[in-house]
Amino acid sequence: MTPPPAVAVADMMRPLPTTADSQINRDILSVMDRPTLPYWLLLGFLVVFVHAAGAVWVYQVYKGLGIAGYSHPIFWGVYIVTFVFWVGIAHAGTLISAILYLFRAKWRNAINRSAEAMTVFAVLTAAQFLGIHVGRIWKSYFILPYPNQRGLWVNFKSPLVWDTFAISTYGTISALFLFVGMVPDLAIARDRSTGWRKLLYTTLALGWNGSSKQWKSWNRTVLHLSGFATPLVLSVHSVVSWDFAMSIVPGWHATIFAPYFVAGAIFSGFAMVLTVMIPVRRIFGLEAYITDYHFDNMARFILLTSLIVGYSYTIEYFIAWYSGVEPEQTSFWYRAFGPYWISAWTMIICNAVIPQILWSKRARTSVPTLFVVSVFVNIGMWFERYVIIITGLSREYDPAVWGTYTPALPELAILAASFAFFAMFFVAFLKLFPVIAIAEVKELAIHERAHAQGGAH
Amino acid sequence: MPLLVGVFEAPNKVVDVVGRLRSRGYDQLEVYSPAPFPEVDDALLERPSRVRLWTLLGGLLGVFTGFLMTIWMSNDWQINVGGKPFVSIPPYVILGFELTILFGGVLTVVALFVHGGLPHGKFGKHDLGYSPRFSAEEFGLTVRCKERDVAEIDALLRAFEAKEVSLVEP
Repeated sequence: MTPPPAVAVADMMRPLPTTADSQINRDILSVMDRPTLPYWLLLGFLVVFVHAAGAVWVYQVYKGLGIAGYSHPIFWGVYIVTFVFWVGIAHAGTLISAILYLFRAKWRNAINRSAEAMTVFAVLTAAQFLGIHVGRIWKSYFILPYPNQRGLWVNFKSPLVWDTFAISTYGTISALFLFVGMVPDLAIARDRSTGWRKLLYTTLALGWNGSSKQWKSWNRTVLHLSGFATPLVLSVHSVVSWDFAMSIVPGWHATIFAPYFVAGAIFSGFAMVLTVMIPVRRIFGLEAYITDYHFDNMARFILLTSLIVGYSYTIEYFIAWYSGVEPEQTSFWYRAFGPYWISAWTMIICNAVIPQILWSKRARTSVPTLFVVSVFVNIGMWFERYVIIITGLSREYDPAVWGTYTPALPELAILAASFAFFAMFFVAFLKLFPVIAIAEVKELAIHERAHAQGGAH
Repeated sequence: MPLLVGVFEAPNKVVDVVGRLRSRGYDQLEVYSPAPFPEVDDALLERPSRVRLWTLLGGLLGVFTGFLMTIWMSNDWQINVGGKPFVSIPPYVILGFELTILFGGVLTVVALFVHGGLPHGKFGKHDLGYSPRFSAEEFGLTVRCKERDVAEIDALLRAFEAKEVSLVEP
């Protein structure tokens, strides 16, 4: 072949047209469009609420934990209940992004980003309660093994130390998972934004351009992080359950606790994803991406885990009876018919009875029904932890140290504010980062298009 | 050397054209994909990603750190519980496990930076052949070649259903 002269090559010069865009980019990035007045009002309300609760907390630090409802023998109250609740909420995100990734369940693509973000924010919320629960916050670093002049080390046989390691590992890995998954989408946002957003996305996208080298490493990284996150998510709530099960308190000392807590965590996490995503989908018009099919699948998960949780409730009572240990039997009788009977029956009805409606396809595809069920599950799962912790502590072996507990106002204020704290981060996230994993949704769309065109793909 | 950019819509065409170009000896290629397509990446780089080595290294480092830290610290500050041994392996498995995941996960992300070449390029500057179209729904294939091959590659890209072919650098 005769080489063309240099002049001819120069004649071929033409810039690459840059007009093409995709509907998927436009739809999902439009969620981040200029915030409206109601958005600012909501965000402002949440920020004020969180700060008001912060003031309550400062007052508690000043006065001491006496202003919480703690009284002998119950020194684990609403703060620890709420800590366990939020750690549980975190679990759905990792389940959706890691476990369903390993199972190649492609339907996760529409919801994994929001669920991962919820994981990070829920762990953050939960972590606050460890600090709120300890009276002397300035000594909370004692739980870490750090070199000190006294030559002391922490006791690694304590489940509280295991928990510290588990929760900090979980927080780190889920934040890395969220960030790594988001880098390609940040590049999409970078290419289509101006002003301060351009600067933000250019910084965070790290010069991502989708070259083969980048995708190849990215795919491998996401696979390995999923492989790590899968056993991690199971371990975290197991370790949280051992905070209780390693003791000899009646009602806590049970080997079923780890799987029982993990199932409960996934149950409540999926419910929270529904509670949050149903309004988000409606407000931002994302019906084309988060379809009833996704909600149906999540409802099936809720139904499955509801059955596991219901089974665990039954087995707890059976083992208490079958063990023949009187304190154990008394503890469970007290749980159902003692002064905390309302909490116990709320837990059973919300977690084991109400979700049974999801056997019906009509209920699973009705958005209002799902929303109501998910709210009941959230309430029920908070009460589950309340029942386990409070009834366990209020009736231990020696009648001389029996007592009852009622949450005090500061505890309830901080509990309410934990929802505002979580919502504050999520609401801010909605306008700052793509709430649906754009690149992964596109992967499916491009595959489908190639199929439709009869490609050999 | 001239740089040609072909714009494609279907990932399988990109795979085919990359195979053809490489069999003809053109190996200064780069593909920009809008989404993860392992088949496209494999067509260009058949060697398995090295990220796995970092994961293994991090995991091993974590498990050793977990066990050595707990065993050493238990002996350094001895807590006598009813005359039982100071070191108890079963609870330390939990620490070893968590640190395996922590170190392994962190080093896996470090590997993404090292092997994925991140951060890439000068701040706010793109590669010459990159276009925001490739973060929409199209694939970009850039070929750097000698001047005399431009016409041949141009024809070849079009034969594999390239929507457009541009010469962005003479």
